[in-house]
Amino acid sequence: MWKKALILFVFSTFLANAQNRPLLYNVDDLPQSLLQNPGARIDFTKHIGMPFLSQIHLSAGSTGVTAYDIFSDENNNVNQRVRDVMNSITNRDYFSVNQQIEVLSLGWKVGNKGYFSTGIYQELDVFAYFPKDPAILAFEGNADYIGRDFKFSDASFTGEILTVYHAGLNYKVDAKLTVGGRFKLYSGIFNVESTGNEGIFRTIETPGGPNFYRHEVSELNVRINTSGYASLKDEEGMTVDQAVSELLSRSFFGQNVGLGLDLGFNYRVTDQFSVNGSIQDLGLMFHQKDVENYNYYGSFQTSGLEPLFPELDDNEQAIPYWEIFEERLDRSLQDETTENAYTTWRPLKYNASFQFGTGKSILPCDYLLSKKPRFMNLFGMIISGANRPKGPTYGVTAYWDRKVTDNLRFRLAYAVDEYTLTKLGFMVSSRFKNFNIYLAANDIIGYTNLANANSASLQLGMQFIFKDL
Amino acid sequence: MDSLKIPILVLFVGLLFSSCFKDVDFGQAEDITLEPDLEVDLLYYTLTETDFLDSESGNFTPVIRDTVRLEFLDDDYIQENLMYAALRFKHENDFPYDIKSNIRFLGENGRNQFNVAYTIPSAEDGNTSIVDTVRVLEGNEIVRLRRSIQIVLQLEVVGADKDLQGELDFLSKGLFRFEF
Repeated sequence: MWKKALILFVFSTFLANAQNRPLLYNVDDLPQSLLQNPGARIDFTKHIGMPFLSQIHLSAGSTGVTAYDIFSDENNNVNQRVRDVMNSITNRDYFSVNQQIEVLSLGWKVGNKGYFSTGIYQELDVFAYFPKDPAILAFEGNADYIGRDFKFSDASFTGEILTVYHAGLNYKVDAKLTVGGRFKLYSGIFNVESTGNEGIFRTIETPGGPNFYRHEVSELNVRINTSGYASLKDEEGMTVDQAVSELLSRSFFGQNVGLGLDLGFNYRVTDQFSVNGSIQDLGLMFHQKDVENYNYYGSFQTSGLEPLFPELDDNEQAIPYWEIFEERLDRSLQDETTENAYTTWRPLKYNASFQFGTGKSILPCDYLLSKKPRFMNLFGMIISGANRPKGPTYGVTAYWDRKVTDNLRFRLAYAVDEYTLTKLGFMVSSRFKNFNIYLAANDIIGYTNLANANSASLQLGMQFIFKDL
Repeated sequence: MDSLKIPILVLFVGLLFSSCFKDVDFGQAEDITLEPDLEVDLLYYTLTETDFLDSESGNFTPVIRDTVRLEFLDDDYIQENLMYAALRFKHENDFPYDIKSNIRFLGENGRNQFNVAYTIPSAEDGNTSIVDTVRVLEGNEIVRLRRSIQIVLQLEVVGADKDLQGELDFLSKGLFRFEF
């Protein structure tokens, strides 16, 4: 079973990147830019997404290992490669998977300055640090690590599936400043989190002590919170397909709720130069129903069992040393399942960028036209990141955005982040009358051989977008 | 320029869908094994002359023994995944007498699976006598440990009487190698 999990884990590296989508950020003729920055400048008056197809987003990655690192076909010494990877990877390396599907997306202009947008999307987000110490203990044991502390804090992960209902307003304050906000109602489908764990396991030599070693579990405090899992677990004989069906049935009526906010702005410093920034998912999930918490805590140490050589008659039983040891162990290291409500922060995302435009478009000479000329070449840089249990993840993206015509646009991007120093991205968006289709992929070098890629991400969608003449 | 739209889209989609995994063999996943080596303390004791004297009569008891059940030897991970064991036994004798030690591993039915027996020489001129022994079980022999569930420790002091004085320390550990 663990082998399948490992394969799945490694396989997930064929898709990657964090939740941020720099290829869609600041794309003023895509409604999805409003999900990145509700205060973005936009260039349309109405949009209606194709249900379930207006945005399909997949991203995943791993900062410390690729499929090639383990499954290289150069030789058959796969176990040595696993050991090498475990030695090189750190407890701050991580694996992440993020997926979003827009179920519904629509928006329209409100008055002269506002644009209202609303919709529903489903999101899956998994983020797990590499549990280095527990993994080394499991793979190699303690024999070569006498005296070393194995930290339970290395086990840190979050996972959630939820549906997000949102409504936002984009407001053009004046010719320079645009601001926006988006209110989000989260409907939780499933959540698991285990962060802030504590405790150490170690084996130390005890010269002069009662035995060779002392094995210690010190101040163990591990907690795994779950919501939406207990009811699945209690369904005896439920197949994977049935479990997936059950989860999907909760998509629109999840049991746990949360509230969140996106905020953003765009400021045109000059006609050509603008700065902007946004935060997404400043919010909390309140897990109150279908909750189970698994707690493991305590301290324990032992040097083995000590026989006492009691004077026993032939009919007397030996002292039950093992039972006594187990009772002491159970008293000292306890596990407890509770049903306490808990609250989680949503992973806060943030973006900040500046953009410089050159090459004004030439508009037809028509006094009825209210549009201002656009810049056909846009150069920008985005700093983006997300809050995670052990600190923020981050990336820097530089891009060239080219509006070939009013109906065809592409963006070429180069990014540096924790996955790779050479991330090339490409986005193309095209309109056929009012029908828009876009496709964006990051780390396209990695697509040539996914086995060697630390990350990749993909966004695609189709929708109807209406613009003023 | 609109004529470029479809070729660009097709080219881009084609690139994405032509992506593949190269130079890897996922079939190797079947060969991945967990092979932890665990160092684990087993039994220890410190005996003095009082342990060889009857607590009521004060008579010298040259042979003493005790039995310790090690229930973990019956667990699945031992029965299915234990491949190698190196058991280390160390005696430090301060008594001015030889002591015979016999460590017997027994099955549930009391049948002897294997034993480690040796004589611990007497301390000479106040210098502690040390016997440090390693018993390795691997290959077919590992079955003997898998079948074991209890250890019987027996000590026999040779040539002493009730006036004996000294101390006997015992340390033991196991190096257990698993393959999962």
